[in-house]
Amino acid sequence: MTMAAERQMELTLPMVDDIEIAAARAAGNLARELGMSSEKIDEMTHAIIEACINAREHSGCADNRIYLRFVGTSIGAGPRIDVWVTDHGRGFDPGEARSRRPAPGMAHKRGRGLQLIEAHMDEVDITTEQGGGTTIHMVKYEKKS
Amino acid sequence: MNEELRVAVDRRTNGAILYTKGYINNVGGEEIANRAYELMDADVRTLLLNLRETKIVNSIGISILIEIIEKMIDKGGKIAFCCLTPVIHKTFQIMGLANYATIYENEEAAIQDLAL
Repeated sequence: MTMAAERQMELTLPMVDDIEIAAARAAGNLARELGMSSEKIDEMTHAIIEACINAREHSGCADNRIYLRFVGTSIGAGPRIDVWVTDHGRGFDPGEARSRRPAPGMAHKRGRGLQLIEAHMDEVDITTEQGGGTTIHMVKYEKKS
Repeated sequence: MNEELRVAVDRRTNGAILYTKGYINNVGGEEIANRAYELMDADVRTLLLNLRETKIVNSIGISILIEIIEKMIDKGGKIAFCCLTPVIHKTFQIMGLANYATIYENEEAAIQDLAL
């Protein structure tokens, strides 16, 4: 497998209204440069938006910052974008959050952020520790093998 | 960040069409709700939301749309959507909107079916 065109970007953003749009646009631009399709980019940016909103609304962090890292690679099957969204907040229990989740398609007003992230991305991995912050690592492929 | 949502209203004989432009977040959702509730107070019972110029929604904005739908259903009316991007359509399905509001591919089909 040939790996080429690696792009990386790191952002530290303040937790202010609509800052998730800045994060999404940065990731979208990187993905576009690597040739990812607009539909895949849209899915990825919506997941990033939800991850940033979760950090802003639920992390309870003292530094009021969201730390983002994007790594884009273009491999044989097309672009792959890795996204890390980190906060230094209180952490949470992903299993408990998933257990409160309503079934897909059932109208429910809140608590859908993680579900949307998992639906829009190809891989999602959460590292979280009580009092130690949370990192969501998400991967989007142009073509998932 | 300036992501203010704009809403334009087209009153029709049998209802109204709301055209949104911009990000449907908490503020944008409230803007849509304000317009929708004004119309409901004026006895409008069929609303079509045309999202042609909205490319991004978030879960908070969608939760407000669900509240609007619930209020309209309580009043015996209906709300429909048209011109969604594929990712917004997928998000609506996950969030459950598709169970309570009809989603049309384009405005012409919606107007004909809703008799607007």
